[in-house]
Amino acid sequence: MNQFVKKVKQPFIDVANCLHKFAIALVDGDLFVRLSLVWMGAGFFRRKQYLKSFLITALEIIVILYSVFFASQYIPKFNTLGTVKQESVFNAVTMKKEFNDYDNSFMILLYSLVSIVIWIIFFVIYIRNIIHQYDLQKMAERGQHINTFKDDRRLYLGEKFYVVLLSLPVLGVVLFNIIPLLTMALIAFTNYDSRHMPPTELFTWVGLDNFVSLFSSGGLTITFGYAFIRVLIWTLVWAVFATFTTYIGGILLASLINHKRVRGKKFWRTMFVITIAVPQFVSLLLLKNFFADGGIVNTICANIGLTDFLRDIGVISTSYIPFLTAPGWAHVMLILINIWVGVPYQMLIATGVLMNLPQDQIESARMDGATSAQIFRHITMPYVLFITGPALVTDFVRNINNFNVIFLLTNGIYVTADQALANSQAKEVDLLITWLFTLTRDYYNYKMAAVIGIVIFVISALSVVIVFKRLTAGDREEVYQ
Amino acid sequence: MKIKISDVLRHALLLVLVVIWIIPIVWLVATSFSKYTGMNTSTFFPAEWGLTSYKELLFNSDSVTQFPAWFKNTFIIASANCVISTAFVLMVAYATSCMRFKLRKTLMNIGITLNLFPSVLSMIAVYFILKSLNLTNNHFGLILVYSASSGLGYLIAKGFMDTIPASLREAAYIDGASEARVFFRIVVPMSRPIIVYTVISSFLVPWMDFVLATLMLNSGISSQWTVALGLNNMLDRMLLNTHFTMFCAGGVLVSIPISILFIIMQKFYVEGVTGGAVKG
Repeated sequence: MNQFVKKVKQPFIDVANCLHKFAIALVDGDLFVRLSLVWMGAGFFRRKQYLKSFLITALEIIVILYSVFFASQYIPKFNTLGTVKQESVFNAVTMKKEFNDYDNSFMILLYSLVSIVIWIIFFVIYIRNIIHQYDLQKMAERGQHINTFKDDRRLYLGEKFYVVLLSLPVLGVVLFNIIPLLTMALIAFTNYDSRHMPPTELFTWVGLDNFVSLFSSGGLTITFGYAFIRVLIWTLVWAVFATFTTYIGGILLASLINHKRVRGKKFWRTMFVITIAVPQFVSLLLLKNFFADGGIVNTICANIGLTDFLRDIGVISTSYIPFLTAPGWAHVMLILINIWVGVPYQMLIATGVLMNLPQDQIESARMDGATSAQIFRHITMPYVLFITGPALVTDFVRNINNFNVIFLLTNGIYVTADQALANSQAKEVDLLITWLFTLTRDYYNYKMAAVIGIVIFVISALSVVIVFKRLTAGDREEVYQ
Repeated sequence: MKIKISDVLRHALLLVLVVIWIIPIVWLVATSFSKYTGMNTSTFFPAEWGLTSYKELLFNSDSVTQFPAWFKNTFIIASANCVISTAFVLMVAYATSCMRFKLRKTLMNIGITLNLFPSVLSMIAVYFILKSLNLTNNHFGLILVYSASSGLGYLIAKGFMDTIPASLREAAYIDGASEARVFFRIVVPMSRPIIVYTVISSFLVPWMDFVLATLMLNSGISSQWTVALGLNNMLDRMLLNTHFTMFCAGGVLVSIPISILFIIMQKFYVEGVTGGAVKG
């Protein structure tokens, strides 16, 4: 607990230290340090680091130009997300209909966010620049060596090489991961949906309304709350079953193949790997047609009389077996097909682990007269669990978001009969993630999709936090180095 | 060695399982050689065998089937993604595994958190960002989508680099080598297995991905599509009866190179996932 408090406190202490240094730099710094407040390159210029001076001045100018000419169009409207609706007006000069100078709520949201991120980064650079200038001044006063360009080059290929290595990947993550995620998070607090679509319409902030409509049983017409509970339960059931069936199946299959009396291990393994080497969109779309209402499996079942038998005992009421088109049937089929998809993967991993079993332990257990079942339960299983435990959690999270299996198998053929679900554009077989996808791609209901996205994140994060701590045996990285 | 009943049972069980696992694949291959263009629903194997669907697919391009163009598009996107992703993954893995700096743990934690968000989630926003930059329906945009945040997939490579003995690097430092030199001359050459893994797995992404491609290339111009989009389109209800065998033929044609790459890769995949722990 103490450590936790320390961890939370640390960033604040860091920030306070930084500001403290900044204040000292301003008070004790010379003219050029203070001049750096306005002209960021001043300090570097004074210390004859001309290239650095030029670069940081260029950065300053770019940020200022960006703020004046670009950000200023969007930031002031951030609190309303725009007030001027798009209208076409007749222009007397050009004799054409033209759009007025309208606001685009989405652009305001996005560019304001981008500007804020840029400003925060710039602010950090700005503060650190002043502190750095003061350090340089002190170094100069003490007659210490000030880095030349050549020295800097050596520094950034040496102990600061990580800056070079990480800058591009981090930039990519910020642009294509963090900013989009923050945008989605903000959209959860707006009324951005099919009736409020930029550029023709505006959307605005609505506070927690979307969360309320997701978690309460809702109004009279749209019952998101009902659909949410149904989809959430199926998502969790799916994730548990999908994870454990493939995990246990994989270990069993691996130990079957790796049994010392089995011949042609490589052959068996390759046969299973072939099924996952076929791209999922091919194999899953194929299976969708394989099990279609009028598909080949149904023909075979009808020929051998299974369909009639099932109809006679009242399990089905149709002239075919609705493998992927009726609730219940579809749920079971999805889990079975997922076993087909997932077991070979798990088999591969389990094989790697089983090959490295502590043989001496097993031998001594056998000497003591343990049966193979006992060895499997008391030595093999705990060992495998210990090593693949963290991967199990990752698999669980991955299955919560297992888009491919559900979407490719049910998209276009599964139609829900439940009106309440249909009102919320959900289906019995939907996971949260496929529901989110349908809401955005087909119904443009971005606000609800964003809320569901946040819920998905919370569930994933919780399962990681709760389970991960127990399963991981500490950080292994130092041990092996 | 005496043959026991349990051995026979074991092999029989394996055989049954393999048959179950392989049936859909057999059906895929068999159907692709059918002369009939629609889905064969009455018999498992096609009534008449022929190469028509392959011929149509490869040499008769129309608005629906542009397989050579899709293959080329996917190949270009995959190659670009492969180069960028591999570079990013190696860079991040080296920085987090072999170097110690102040924000290292923080960055790694942020990475773990970001990995919890499914990519579909942020895609809508990415789509709008690319749209405002005029990069949707553009292969360059799709390459960016695949590769820009690939640095987040550094964990397996990092786990591998963790097992490279630090003494090797320290010896190089003492000889006066810079960090960059150690990276290029020692760690990268020693990480060959994990580089093969990263190269193949990032090359495979555009071949396997369907979701991001549908979102990003949505203009309906079929010559722009990737293989996944094109093949999926053939299963449209309107086209199913005329194009199902072509879908199967396309599926077989894509699967062959991918399977080969995948089988090469899986060895490294296992090493990567279980790597550090097993070696100890």
